[in-house]
Amino acid sequence: MLNQYYGDYLTVALFIAVGAILVGGAVGASKLLAPKNPGGFKDVAYESGIEPVGGGWNQSHIRYYIFALMFLIFDVEAVFIFPWAITLDAFQAAGRGVFILVEMFLFILILLSGLLYAIRKGVLKWE
Amino acid sequence: MDAIDYHALLPEIILAVTVLATLLVDLFTSRKSFAAITAMIGMFASFVAILTLAFCDNLTFCTSTGDRVLFGGSFVVDGYAIVLQGLFIFAGFIVVLMSVGYLETDRYYEGEFYFLIVSAVLGAAVMASSRDFISMIVALEIVSGSGFLLAGWRKGDARSNEASLKFFIIGVLALALLLFGVSLIYGLTGTQVFSEIAAASSSVEDIALFNLGAIFVLLGFGFKVSAVPFHFWTPDVYEGSPPPVTAWLSVGSKGAGFVGLLSVCYLALPSVTEIWGPVLWLVAALSMTIGNIVAIKQTNVIRLLGYSSIAQAGFMLAPFGAAAATGADLSQTFSATVTYLVIYAVMNLGAFAVVIIVGTRVGSYELERWSGLNTWAPGLALSLAAFFMSLAGIPPLAGWFAKFVMFSATIGVGSWWGYSIAIVAALNAVIALVYYLKVLKSAFFDTVPADLDVATLEAGTVPGPTSFAIGLTAAAVLVLGIFPGLAANLGDFSSDFLATLGL
Repeated sequence: MLNQYYGDYLTVALFIAVGAILVGGAVGASKLLAPKNPGGFKDVAYESGIEPVGGGWNQSHIRYYIFALMFLIFDVEAVFIFPWAITLDAFQAAGRGVFILVEMFLFILILLSGLLYAIRKGVLKWE
Repeated sequence: MDAIDYHALLPEIILAVTVLATLLVDLFTSRKSFAAITAMIGMFASFVAILTLAFCDNLTFCTSTGDRVLFGGSFVVDGYAIVLQGLFIFAGFIVVLMSVGYLETDRYYEGEFYFLIVSAVLGAAVMASSRDFISMIVALEIVSGSGFLLAGWRKGDARSNEASLKFFIIGVLALALLLFGVSLIYGLTGTQVFSEIAAASSSVEDIALFNLGAIFVLLGFGFKVSAVPFHFWTPDVYEGSPPPVTAWLSVGSKGAGFVGLLSVCYLALPSVTEIWGPVLWLVAALSMTIGNIVAIKQTNVIRLLGYSSIAQAGFMLAPFGAAAATGADLSQTFSATVTYLVIYAVMNLGAFAVVIIVGTRVGSYELERWSGLNTWAPGLALSLAAFFMSLAGIPPLAGWFAKFVMFSATIGVGSWWGYSIAIVAALNAVIALVYYLKVLKSAFFDTVPADLDVATLEAGTVPGPTSFAIGLTAAAVLVLGIFPGLAANLGDFSSDFLATLGL
């Protein structure tokens, strides 16, 4: 059993080795073959062809961070709703459909109370 | 699929509803105390639900008897779970009582504070019932996650921020170690339910990786219960956190760690006692000795209680470390450890309640500022003496019985593992007396610092909820000390379930 356990790791090691060879080979070959013509304009940040304005280190507003957190509420919801929707049929067949439906509503209710909290605390007001 | 036993889940359901209710009440009311009242009502209701589970045999509406096993053995309500859930809810209730007065002393967020306390209590209660690794780790994270935030509640204080960050990093490290151990155990046994691991472990116990997994799980819990050598975060976090939070961390959070450690060791890993027994023995001996010796030098009362809680963790681990190292019957020492944990929780909460009152009144937790406490607050000085003497183990206060049970269980093991750690514990009981009495000497026999105005100090009042908390814990310490049979019953109640497992 243990031999097989270590054997599984050998597969992983093989994958790493093959990956390293592939990437190293591709990068190394292009390094050897590609023509080199350095110039100052080539180091400028790529902005879809438009000339960039300002530096690369822009400050973002702290509110974006809070919105990212708010996004998690819906994201987590979605992550759990999809597998739930797929297994719903099986539960329905086993006679537990209503139970599982109520469970999901409880889950959504708990997540939504987080949204309610954010609204009451004025997070969604953009001034 | 079986029907779900909602009565068995009732304490947790009430707590979960309370968590949401506390948050919502705070959002829609202007009075800050409503959130605290909601939290207390919820925890009281949950405690009543636990009582109905505990005395199920005597109630007419209660049909189920014996242990209740839910979700395929992942969640079990037995005597052990009931005692510890009751303890955690009691601890949460006392912490809320002492927080009410404390949070009014400065501009703190209040509603969220109670919300997080009730969440932590919920996590600890689930912890006591969980019998598989996944629900246990989720419960542990509910307890820890709330703890990280609560530790940093004094936003303007750098020490509080440091406490929060330190607690977070150590907590995540502990979790990583724990998860690594769990992954090894799961990989080798193919299950994460404790009883199934115990059944499957006979075929894998000779594999080094399984033992390594067991050790990693122990290390993870070692951080959670702040046992030496995983204790170094404890004094800083305890000192930096707001004192009511420290009270919760030293009782609830630490207790939850102990519950996890006990459940994993006894239920999942009984076949490899020769691996974790000596480790626990060593950790217990080190915790007692180092915790006590460092505590002597402390000048800050909260830090002193922090080191004292490290030492007390050593006393709790001593009996079952010794029994496991010997390979002896575990149930006797198991009940000793649970009894010790219950009594420690009560007296430590009481000690913190008094310390918070005196500390806020004096404006400092440095021991030298506390001199002459007796002259301006004899009542507080007396209750301080009661709780500290109890922690030191002086009869007729509850602490002596905890020590007595611990010693009798340790010696009862009947091997050199037991005798040697009993000697270490006896020496440490004497060392502990030094620093507990140092606080009392300062409070009773030294003169008040010259710059403190005695008249103002005398005029200060103890907030009603906190005096209720002190009264409740003081009564418990006296009753458990004079009628120790009560505590022993709780301990035996919790070890009964071990008998059914044939341990």
